[in-house]
Amino acid sequence: MENSIVKSKRTKEIDVNKPKFTAKEFKRQWILVAISAVYVIYGIIFYYLPLAGWIIAFQNFVFAKGIGGSKWVGIDKFKFLFSDKTFLMVIRNTFVMGVLNLFFSTVVAIAFAILLNEVKNRYFKKSIQTISYLPHFLSWIIVVAIVHDALTSTGIINDILTRLHILKQPYAFLGDPKLFWGIVTLSHLWKETGWNAIIYLAAITSIDPCLYESASIDGAGRFQKMRYVTLPGLRPTIMILLLMNMGNVLNAGFELQYLLGNGLVQNVSRTIDIYILDWALDARNMDYSLGTAAGIFKTVVSMTFIVVSNYIAKKKGDERLF
Amino acid sequence: MKTKKIVSLILASMLAVSSFAACSTKPTDTQSSGGNEPVQTGDGKEIVDFTMFAAMAGKEKNDGNEIMELIAEKTGVRVKETWLTGQDAGEAIGSIIASGKLPDLIDGGDGSVTLYQNGLLVAWDDYLEKYPNLKEMYTDEEWDKFRMDDGHIYWANVFGNSYDHNTATGHNGEAFWIQVRVLEWANYPKIQTLDEYFKLLEDYAAANPELPDGTPVIPYTCLCEDWKYYCLENAPMFLDGYPNDGCVIVNIDAGMDNPKVVDYNTTDTAKMYFKKLNEEYAKGAIDPDFATQTYDEYIAKLSTGRVLGLCDQYWDFAYNIMGPFATPLSASDGTTFRLDELGCDYVPLGLTAKAGMKQQWHSYDDELNQSSGCAVTTSCKDPDLAFAFLSALLDQDIHDLRFWGIEGVDYLVDDQGLYYRTEEMRENWKSDSYKAKHSCEYSYCPQWMGMSKDGINRMQPSEQPSEFYEGLAEPLKKCFAAYGAQTYSEFLGSEIVVNAPWYPLWSWSNNISSDTPGGIAWKRMGETKHLWLPTVVMSSDFESDWAAYQAAYAECDPQAFLDEAQAEVNKRLETAKSYGWTAPV
Repeated sequence: MENSIVKSKRTKEIDVNKPKFTAKEFKRQWILVAISAVYVIYGIIFYYLPLAGWIIAFQNFVFAKGIGGSKWVGIDKFKFLFSDKTFLMVIRNTFVMGVLNLFFSTVVAIAFAILLNEVKNRYFKKSIQTISYLPHFLSWIIVVAIVHDALTSTGIINDILTRLHILKQPYAFLGDPKLFWGIVTLSHLWKETGWNAIIYLAAITSIDPCLYESASIDGAGRFQKMRYVTLPGLRPTIMILLLMNMGNVLNAGFELQYLLGNGLVQNVSRTIDIYILDWALDARNMDYSLGTAAGIFKTVVSMTFIVVSNYIAKKKGDERLF
Repeated sequence: MKTKKIVSLILASMLAVSSFAACSTKPTDTQSSGGNEPVQTGDGKEIVDFTMFAAMAGKEKNDGNEIMELIAEKTGVRVKETWLTGQDAGEAIGSIIASGKLPDLIDGGDGSVTLYQNGLLVAWDDYLEKYPNLKEMYTDEEWDKFRMDDGHIYWANVFGNSYDHNTATGHNGEAFWIQVRVLEWANYPKIQTLDEYFKLLEDYAAANPELPDGTPVIPYTCLCEDWKYYCLENAPMFLDGYPNDGCVIVNIDAGMDNPKVVDYNTTDTAKMYFKKLNEEYAKGAIDPDFATQTYDEYIAKLSTGRVLGLCDQYWDFAYNIMGPFATPLSASDGTTFRLDELGCDYVPLGLTAKAGMKQQWHSYDDELNQSSGCAVTTSCKDPDLAFAFLSALLDQDIHDLRFWGIEGVDYLVDDQGLYYRTEEMRENWKSDSYKAKHSCEYSYCPQWMGMSKDGINRMQPSEQPSEFYEGLAEPLKKCFAAYGAQTYSEFLGSEIVVNAPWYPLWSWSNNISSDTPGGIAWKRMGETKHLWLPTVVMSSDFESDWAAYQAAYAECDPQAFLDEAQAEVNKRLETAKSYGWTAPV
């Protein structure tokens, strides 16, 4: 009985907040509609119309003949993809690097934000924050040059390790396939941790100070407050960011792996994007169809990731995207 | 209120418009051919600006380059050259095609055929008849080799083409190079095998571990990046005494009529060579970064003079280190020194698998590479002017401007009409900054080697015997004298043979596409070798890694590639026969 009253009340509220779309309403809001229409049109032109190009994944596309003149080959390109060992290998690489990246960048950014929040000296805190997010503004080519330089036989890492007698002679870090994923993850952390922490810092400031006060009264120490107040307060932000980033797992990177890779580590360094570049845009192959097919695969998998994780979030009653 | 709304609407639409505008082609883009608008020069003649892209690493010229302006006044055309920046040739050409922004002139390198297949090049045929300068570059038989499957010619290779006869003083190809100071230190020994070569490098490095400025020496390094991994990969072909067919050995034991394609990746010599590198790596004689260095790092390393030996093709490293070698450096004791005067210049050694074998590291004849070259694109608004310009570049006076410079400034003429340079002029032409503002070679446009049309000089100063010899640093002269050689090619001492009709076969393998089983095998073989060759060199258990490499290599189905290579050799042999070629007795 009570339940149904509450329910009907809520539906009423929603009705009130959501006016019907009438001519009168449109007249009242036409400026808002016009402004948003610009973005809808933008989205259609730049995100949806290009999808028509997916057609070429089912053709043997030749640039000179165009979409109209190229031969239809059905799903041959997809068959080739999934019979190609290299493609399966690049999926693995992309996925592993994407997951490593997502996990460590989230955990480290949260930890960094919480620790930074505990710093009481305002000037120290601000300068640390500024220094930590500066690398975000460097382009990958610069970061790669720094990483490459640091890891060569005469670079700073080998120099320190040999001076400390941890290594007898310089080690070829960039030539060891076992280290490659670690180097990629660390480079990401170096570049993005400070930047990623900003949003968590902002979220922390929005946590009600009363909660900390009452926690203190209840006898909570510093770490207990982090554990029982700050972290739960961050939970919605973490969930939303994780969900949004799930779609990016397969965007594990291109520049970093492409520029840092070499013959010795090719089996762990190549990502889907590099594979596409190699087959579609390299003039020696120039197979746009195969590249498009690989791109479609990537998009479909990314969409699936988002939908599934959103569903799970919904089930668990957390924040969600849609 | 109303005005506020309208203002916000206008702002929103402006934002939208500006975001669209950002995507439209800007006429100022360097890659586009938008810069074709004629510009009036002082004397009223119109100068047209063209763009050119060469799929090679290169150095850009400064705007207002002095000789470029002189050539522009004479030809009415000024060309802005751009080069590869980081990516490789295939990727660069691929993205140019995809973007649709073509330069007016292009050398597509490995991507040339793709440019043709996409219908982006202008056929040369009509213009060849119109401009005899261009036609003169090759014989009809040679031009026929450039014809694509539609029967037209779309590009001309501009290199290694000699007027009158080949007068090469240099060795443009591959060799095991060694710094002359190493040979001088050992009192100019005869070095014939890998064992002797590496022993000398090690001994020298042990006795002279540092340069005067304190930089430690590296006995040997080797580039493995992208397609330039030939520096590591194809030495077994040369060590067995074969010429640079690049992708296979062509065995002619059964006569020139009956050539047989052999894989050099699986020979005993290949194993011996990589085992030797493996031993040297373990001893620390090979640069620990050899497998991971980029081309830029490699050149930076060579430029310091610390690398004693390397295996590479001359053009790939030599031009980039001339400037640094001629620049004064300060030693740790405060004095100054120059690397070329110290004897850091490299000379080529024609090593073989066993001492006393004949070798063909140097090819004495011109090599015709029909797989790529200078082309005019369909984006060029005035192709006739472009061909007229290419033709004019071959006029002797303009050719002299390009390669010799301005008379009285860059070279002098003696009473016999022989061109020569003073020491200062030679130094200028070694300096990168001087060349950027003064010289304009248009180095990927048609050009000649060999004799000048005046019958006295050479087309290019590097081939002028007197100029070549005077241009050598003192230690190089001493070294040449010690071995009784006048030129690099004499120093290298390769066997003198007439090029086989299928030579060089790399002009075929460079352009092989992944459409055939052989093409796919070639791609896989390349990937496998990129991974395994450095691995076996760095291995702590050579024998088992070598076996694993050979197994992985066999999985790529190299036979499919070899079959197609054999077919290509046979085809080229038949073509040559149809032009009257007969096997030498």
